[in-house]
Amino acid sequence: MVHIWPIGGGKGGSGKSFLASSLGRVLAGLGKKTLLIDLDLGAANLHTLVDVPYPVKCLSDFIHKKIPLLENTVLETPVPNLYLISGAHDSLDIANLPYEQKVKTLKAISKLNYEWILLDLGAGTSFNILDFFLISQNSIFITTPEPTSIENVYRLIRSIYFRRIRQYFNAADFKTLEEEVVQEFGEGSFNKPDCIMQAVKRAHPEKSLQLENDFNSFRFKLVLNQLRSKDNIALGAQICKIIEKHLGFQVDFAGNIAFDDRVHDAVCQRVSFLDRYPYTRTAYDLRELSKRIVNSTSEQLLIRYS
Amino acid sequence: MKKNFAKLNYYEILDITPDAAFFEIRHAYNAAIQMYRADSLVSYSFFSLEERQEILNLLEKAYLTLINGKERKNYDKELIQLGIIDNVGGKAGSKRSAGIYDASRQWGKAAVLKDSKATLKEKVAQNKHINEILSKQEISGADLKTIRNELGVAIEKIAGETKIRMDYLISIEEDKVKRLPAAAFLKGFIKSYLKCLCIEPLDDVCVRYMDCLARIGKNN
Repeated sequence: MVHIWPIGGGKGGSGKSFLASSLGRVLAGLGKKTLLIDLDLGAANLHTLVDVPYPVKCLSDFIHKKIPLLENTVLETPVPNLYLISGAHDSLDIANLPYEQKVKTLKAISKLNYEWILLDLGAGTSFNILDFFLISQNSIFITTPEPTSIENVYRLIRSIYFRRIRQYFNAADFKTLEEEVVQEFGEGSFNKPDCIMQAVKRAHPEKSLQLENDFNSFRFKLVLNQLRSKDNIALGAQICKIIEKHLGFQVDFAGNIAFDDRVHDAVCQRVSFLDRYPYTRTAYDLRELSKRIVNSTSEQLLIRYS
Repeated sequence: MKKNFAKLNYYEILDITPDAAFFEIRHAYNAAIQMYRADSLVSYSFFSLEERQEILNLLEKAYLTLINGKERKNYDKELIQLGIIDNVGGKAGSKRSAGIYDASRQWGKAAVLKDSKATLKEKVAQNKHINEILSKQEISGADLKTIRNELGVAIEKIAGETKIRMDYLISIEEDKVKRLPAAAFLKGFIKSYLKCLCIEPLDDVCVRYMDCLARIGKNN
């Protein structure tokens, strides 16, 4: 059984790639065959964090059909059990991945034969990022305890749900739906997934049922990164609560990761933080987080691109 | 999809059960205000200005109703009539006393952290095994380890607090004389270590440790 975990957070610099590489290392250390895929299209640097400075193959080779099978773009890393699909030499226009190629990539990813696949996604809420999120029912959102980052993570969560609703309709139907929502709830309400859902419920009851099924099966997790000693340790749980109460979506709080200046040192020296500083609070948090994620199970892919 | 926030009843708004005691209501209200007030990090950007004001008004109304015994009874009656809460729960709630010594009450984490040194001291004073060790003439690294284990303090925690390198700490606890730093440094390390575990008197215990070490060194 394959576990696919997209990792993202809306804002840049919140530690997505660091978390992906650390989780990958821990999972690989537990003897699980783990694959990291750098899907931060156009700003890839996961290879640097897992010590593959000169990747010979990359995702672009698959997209441009130089390598026909995604399986063959996989690189080995110095860590046993840990594999990587790099984005280091992706073509310079990869950030604007066309729809067909994205669907092809999504399908290929879901067919890969690994125990754990971690997708390192980029910042922002472009369709590409949202669709990579929706490949799996699991995902990890990462945020730092700063208003800028929290703002972006709220936006990302709303966008994902919006995108999911959008996938159930064709353009014309969605346009009428949009008009209905604006008419009923007023200007600006189209940005609220809960308002749209109410409209869907009335106009397309069977689709609303399917959507609710989807939403209930999502296992989203929130990670609060770079928590300094002064910060509120209950912040993550409160964020999850507010999302549940006002958006009606279940997001589980997976844990805090303490801030540590030495993460910077480890990245600069291009060594694993977990190996270099195993006795720090941050390393402990990362190991605990991995344990919690390994223990949470739920499966079945969600792709609806047929 | 859940119910609209504005349509929740006062208990649901404050995330409490209909039989909540008064202090629970107050506690829930304070917690909610922390989340929804304008400068809160949690709800930053989540609501528009009007939405936030609406929620805060609603919270206040809920709190003022539920905290007032008479108004709460009236409100409960309304909910019972609407069939939202059942009679039994409602009545039990209004009769339940709100003692300040409620056993189910949980203390905040901050209080525990603040008192961790005091509890450590208490543990040191009460633990027979530790006192036995402390009354010995010579105290070895292994003794220190026993004390630490008795107190349930992780070695990582000491490393974090004292900033002493992990390999030094391990060498101290395992009495690996050759790997220890020079005596001048070692004394400082031992004192920080003892301070971390709240063991007193610092100087005296440190001297006895150094004596023990000197003997082990000679024997080798």
